[in-house]
Amino acid sequence: MLKVDKLVSGYGPMQVLWEPSLNVKKGTITSVLGPNGAGKSTLLWTIFGTVKPWSGKIYFEGRDITFTPPHEKVNMGMTLVPEGKHLFKGMTVYENLIMGAYRKEAEEKLQENLELVYTLFPILKERAQQKAGSLSGGQQQMVTIARALMTNPKFIMLDEPSQGLAPKIVLEVFETIVKLKEEVGLTILLVEQNAEASFDAADYIYVMHEGHFKAEGRPEDIRKSKEVREAYLGI
Amino acid sequence: MVGHQLAGNLIQGLILGAVYGMATMGLSLIFGVLKVVNVGHGAFMMVGAFLALSTFKLLGLPPVLAVPVAFIVGMLLGFIFYRVAIKKLIKGPELSSLLATFAFGIILEEVVKLIYGSEHRGYNWALGKFSLGVTVVPYTKLIAFVGSILVAVLLYVWFNRTKAGKALRSVVEDSEGARVCGINVEWEYALSFAIGLGLTVSSGVLLTLFIPVGINPYMGGHYTLKAFVIAVLGGLESPYGAFFGGLIFGLIENGSYLLFSSFPSLEPFAMTRFFSFVMLLIILLIRPEGLLKTK
Ligand SMILES: Nc1ncnc2c1ncn2[C@@H]1O[C@H](COP(=O)(O)OP(=O)(O)OP(=O)(O)O)[C@@H](O)[C@H]1O
Ligand SMILES: [Mg+2]
Repeated sequence: MLKVDKLVSGYGPMQVLWEPSLNVKKGTITSVLGPNGAGKSTLLWTIFGTVKPWSGKIYFEGRDITFTPPHEKVNMGMTLVPEGKHLFKGMTVYENLIMGAYRKEAEEKLQENLELVYTLFPILKERAQQKAGSLSGGQQQMVTIARALMTNPKFIMLDEPSQGLAPKIVLEVFETIVKLKEEVGLTILLVEQNAEASFDAADYIYVMHEGHFKAEGRPEDIRKSKEVREAYLGI
Repeated sequence: MVGHQLAGNLIQGLILGAVYGMATMGLSLIFGVLKVVNVGHGAFMMVGAFLALSTFKLLGLPPVLAVPVAFIVGMLLGFIFYRVAIKKLIKGPELSSLLATFAFGIILEEVVKLIYGSEHRGYNWALGKFSLGVTVVPYTKLIAFVGSILVAVLLYVWFNRTKAGKALRSVVEDSEGARVCGINVEWEYALSFAIGLGLTVSSGVLLTLFIPVGINPYMGGHYTLKAFVIAVLGGLESPYGAFFGGLIFGLIENGSYLLFSSFPSLEPFAMTRFFSFVMLLIILLIRPEGLLKTK
């Protein structure tokens, strides 16, 4: 579904991505693991288009989208749940969700997607009229994921969705992600530092370090490799 | 007697204040969305004033009808300036966009001077007056007053009730969040810059109804400074805050004028100016985020 070929990007003069290539198969959860500053977020921002690629190629469903602007990518059915939430804190939960259904195709499916979102996160229905900024960290994370689902995506990128959440909530978030794949049929690219939880959820893993992919494989293989775990994942 | 005079001044202040408020909405909108301080603000108002003059003199168009024309001209200027400079500069340090708007202001002043010369010009649009007992209000000013309120209400409704307005609001709240919803953030920036200048230029049209000495290409600087005071009063980032800031400013300006003119040794016009900026300094020192800011 998504193919990234030798992607290079960075900020100003600083190069962050050093030609990682990756392939996300339709209907799978692909996870990118790596320590702080490895370039995981930069990878997602570059795929999404907020950070401009310097070189390399990005394909989505066979189309070259290397320089497609972000809003058009959302139109194609791709979105991103950014690290650090990026909610509209001053708006209500409901208003946040409606903003997710901004583009026309998503607006047509608004009711359907709203029901889906409320079944996945019943608490959001209860809190619909509350300001998003007043929710707990875990609930805010739910709003960001829910808002992304309101864009009616086929493919969704999640940047450290478990960051800063209590262990019990982390578990719930990962359960939801698996549900998104199995019940909603989404394809997912998941960036995480929480390696153990990702091993359980993901179908395929890439290990990132200093802008390179140092290893890739099925979760059980990565888990087995003492070398990879010690060198890059610190577990 | 003094009470009467004060009431009269405050009514005049409220009327002019509404126009001040509308004249500052664009400044606050641009700052709120783009974090660009439009130092050339007054020059854009001046363009509106000359548009009013020209359409009145050449086409016989009453200034109220020049307001939508000015809005469109302002938006066009906004799109052009955004495309030419602001788009690149918002990614850099704040000083660069500030200097760019300063430069735009000067360019506009010089272009208008080339066309019209630098002497004061005026036009006479009179519709009669009505009396409120304590003061007499020309109908033209009443129109400016109502027009300003109408524009403020329209902007409010647009922002809060329409899909396009909500999209812009979401960009103000969190531009990355807006982007992942499929909103074209670049376009929203361009649009808000254009709407901001549209508001500013059209406020210049209404302002001409309050300037008995006429207009000239360099009239803007004075209003830039006032707009800064008003924007700070209104909480800087909110266009409606700016509108209420304008009302307050109008009241204080006209109210204090009376106060200062009761001292024979003071020149009241200069004193109100002095007073405005003392007020600005005090507000900045005690509430740097602006007076009406709720967050
Ligand atoms: N907006 C930015 N401007 C400049 N440098 C940045 C920016 N964002 C990230 N960087 C730098 O790019 C490098 C990679 O950062 P990135 O955020 O992609 O890492 P990460 O793997 O997501 O880390 P984390 O796990 O902490 O989120 C780091 O050295 C970081 O300091
Ligand atoms: Mg990151």
